[in-house]
Amino acid sequence: MINLAQKDIAHTFGKFIVTAMGVGMLLGIVLIMIGVYRGMIVDAEVLLDDLNVDLWVVQENTLGPFAEASRIHEDLKNTLRVIDGVDKTAALTFQNIQLPSKFKQVRVVAVGFDPFGTINPINPERIVAGRGVIRSHYEMVVSDKVGFKLKDKIPLGRNIYTVVGVTHGTVSSGGDPLVYISLKDAQELQFLYSNSRIRNDRARGLSGGDSHMVNSIVVTLHKGYSIDKVADDIKRWKHKSVYTREEQKTILTKNLIERASKQIGLFTAILVVVSTIIIALIIYTMTLEKMKEISIMKLIGIPNSIIIKMIVQETLLLGFLAFIFGNMFSHLIYTKFPKRVVLEIPDAWMLFLVVIIASILSSFIGVKKAISADPAAAIGG
Amino acid sequence: MSSKQSIKVENLVKHFGSGDNLVRVIEGADFQVDKGELVALIAPSGAGKTTLLMMIGCVEEPTSGRIWLGDDKVYDNKWLTRETRKIRREKIGFIFQAHYLIPFLNVIENVTLVPQTNGVSKKDSEAKAKELLEYFDIGNKARAMPSELSGGQNQRVAIARALANSPEIILADEPTAALDLARSVDVVKMLKKIAIEQDVAVIMVTHDEAMLPLCDRILKIENKKVVSSDVPKDIHIL
Repeated sequence: MINLAQKDIAHTFGKFIVTAMGVGMLLGIVLIMIGVYRGMIVDAEVLLDDLNVDLWVVQENTLGPFAEASRIHEDLKNTLRVIDGVDKTAALTFQNIQLPSKFKQVRVVAVGFDPFGTINPINPERIVAGRGVIRSHYEMVVSDKVGFKLKDKIPLGRNIYTVVGVTHGTVSSGGDPLVYISLKDAQELQFLYSNSRIRNDRARGLSGGDSHMVNSIVVTLHKGYSIDKVADDIKRWKHKSVYTREEQKTILTKNLIERASKQIGLFTAILVVVSTIIIALIIYTMTLEKMKEISIMKLIGIPNSIIIKMIVQETLLLGFLAFIFGNMFSHLIYTKFPKRVVLEIPDAWMLFLVVIIASILSSFIGVKKAISADPAAAIGG
Repeated sequence: MSSKQSIKVENLVKHFGSGDNLVRVIEGADFQVDKGELVALIAPSGAGKTTLLMMIGCVEEPTSGRIWLGDDKVYDNKWLTRETRKIRREKIGFIFQAHYLIPFLNVIENVTLVPQTNGVSKKDSEAKAKELLEYFDIGNKARAMPSELSGGQNQRVAIARALANSPEIILADEPTAALDLARSVDVVKMLKKIAIEQDVAVIMVTHDEAMLPLCDRILKIENKKVVSSDVPKDIHIL
């Protein structure tokens, strides 16, 4: 039996392909939107995965250090070590800063850590040039997205920092690039006021601020100890909030990016609906263009089933090709986005399913129009 | 119904609309067309020629009456089958003023579409299509698209399509309207030849009186009735 869909598409091949490409670009944007959401999840977990610690100890009754401000004393890291089960501890600071560059300021999150400590937040596998921070002062490791290179000098606060290492793929939960500096430098940047502010405070009778504060203490445990038990001990005896790695992950993904993900989800759903409407309109237009031929076919006795098959096959092929073009388009452009875009195969399959369902629904409009075609219209009577 | 009769119509009525908008097109048509006969259907414009043709072709539903196609009664105040399209596909070949070929199918695909839909194999349907195309002197155009052929060639393809399902009846709606006299004569002679050789009943709607001498008989719609008459002797083609 002659495949009418194949013949019709071959007859208007260029137009069909361009149409599929157009719809495909729309589907590509849908994939990118899903990828942006996946990227946010991945970004949120980069620092957690690189640190790979069991517990996060933060200011009591806060969701610190990422979701809420948290300030605790640095020396807590020493007192935590005496708790049964604790193996290593490290004090960390996190702060947003603007790095000056030649053209514009770059927003980054600075991670302050003790370069001589036992827990290092820099994953060696992520270093693509230079080395980690090994001195107490004025060294900085930057993400490659920041745009600095090795030995670049960066004036920050009262001092000038030298870039000693470049990492790849290190971003904060908000997607800003990470830079790493020593804890002392970080504390100075975060807690040490300017000279004029200090003089002003003295005039007001205020004592100088304590710069030996950090935002969080991270803890690893000896093997065999219950994470929950140790966490409860710290909460009870040190009056701090303590989160396991999984809890911190939940805070990052739920509290920090939930609204953004909902926004993206809604936008993606709207794009899918728009794509469905566009496919439906295209199929309707394609059917309208063929109404004369459909009337002739009905007049010479071609059954509805063959005509419907032609329309449904064309719609499904349009959807399938649009999906292929969408994938190609998204894979071509996803690296150009400033924030991480993660394209995952299961998401593509899900979209494929949605496109096929949308195509079938869209074809109903064309089929309805075709069924209503009057065979007598073929001869104008 | 006798074995010679191919089309028989009894007391066929067709009205459009109702109440004040009622339009009476045909009021009790009675006629028959035999196998091997080429009959011209003539009437002024708007008199209902195409409507009558479409009723016989099971496209337009009559208001009342009876229609036989071949040995089968297909209409008796209602369609006697739900599959009128199957009747068209299996018993009737249509030829129109314009060729109305499917533009995205090539010549041989246009000709074999109906037979293949009827279940004839691709091989057998193509063999018959080639035979028909050779018969109409367009065998070398089998793989051409309709847009690559002249109007006359396309009309011959359309006639081949109408014959491809070995129909018992051919309904031709002004097949010569777009052709010059010489080509019109060729087409009508061809229809006459087909009627005789393939024992097919042909009804041809025409406005062209010059074609009437080539037909066996004339059906004329007069005062909403169908009147059968012989071909007038005083009309001659050039």
